[in-house]
Amino acid sequence: MITKKNLIKVLFICLLQFLINNSNAVEPDEILANKKQEMNARNISKNIRCMVCQNQSIDESDAPLAKDLRILIRKQIQEGKTDKEIYVFLTDRYGDFILLKPPLKLNTFALWFLPLVFVLIGFFIIYYHHKKSNKI
Amino acid sequence: MIKKKLYQLPFLLFVIILLIFFYLLIIDRTPSKIPSALLNKSVPVFEANSLLIDDKFHSPNEFTKEITLVNFFATWCKPCRDEHIYIQRFATNNQLKVIGINYKDNSEKTIQWLKKLGNPYSNIAIDNNGKIAIDWGVYGIPETFVVDSKGIIKYRHVGPVTKKVYKKINMIIAELE
Repeated sequence: MITKKNLIKVLFICLLQFLINNSNAVEPDEILANKKQEMNARNISKNIRCMVCQNQSIDESDAPLAKDLRILIRKQIQEGKTDKEIYVFLTDRYGDFILLKPPLKLNTFALWFLPLVFVLIGFFIIYYHHKKSNKI
Repeated sequence: MIKKKLYQLPFLLFVIILLIFFYLLIIDRTPSKIPSALLNKSVPVFEANSLLIDDKFHSPNEFTKEITLVNFFATWCKPCRDEHIYIQRFATNNQLKVIGINYKDNSEKTIQWLKKLGNPYSNIAIDNNGKIAIDWGVYGIPETFVVDSKGIIKYRHVGPVTKKVYKKINMIIAELE
């Protein structure tokens, strides 16, 4: 039987699942001993798209290519490469598509600013509608 | 008058968006296919062991004389077997130089596989850990690249070469020649 108390418990657990974001696919053998470097690798991995699953980052993906890229990123960090150098290395090979957040460029201009335009249009419509209702 | 037009605006926008979606739906396009970042760029520089000869495989040296096809394949990959007949057709019918890159595979098995199905490759580089594939921006084998006589990548196809793709690559090669 679902009592109110049970329901609250279940909802609480569900909520907890949302807060604890532990859906990474990093395997123990990949993790770097240096905690700072590992943190850096995790941060980069979260921004890199898994080209196989396409809507997951390589940090979350179990695809073999994602694992290869995670290891590659860690190796480059150990070699002392900067974050920018690593991103450039990846986009040189896979294009901007590998970045989960599209960079602001001429061809992504509409993607970034069209939502703002739609919001403005929305305000415009509300404003005129309001003006009209005031008259009546 | 202006107000009336204004009320038509959302409807008009809706129709425009609908038309755009409809257009994207009917044109021949696969959103999951990503254009290669390497198009019109030189082939990646790499060195690997060769499966067929006792010498190392040196990347730019292999691509400087003629139009070359680069095919990423593995024996464990079923679509690679499906496209094999077309890869062979490129080598025999078109007299093309075809280079294979054996992706994360067992060399022993690959040699047996080629003995059974025929070998269209003039040279095969062994990519044990998938590093060569990453350099080429490969994300799912089989993948096939067309490289011109100057070592510039001109075309990339992801997935098995089918009859349609075979024809398309032939057209691209004809244009390059």
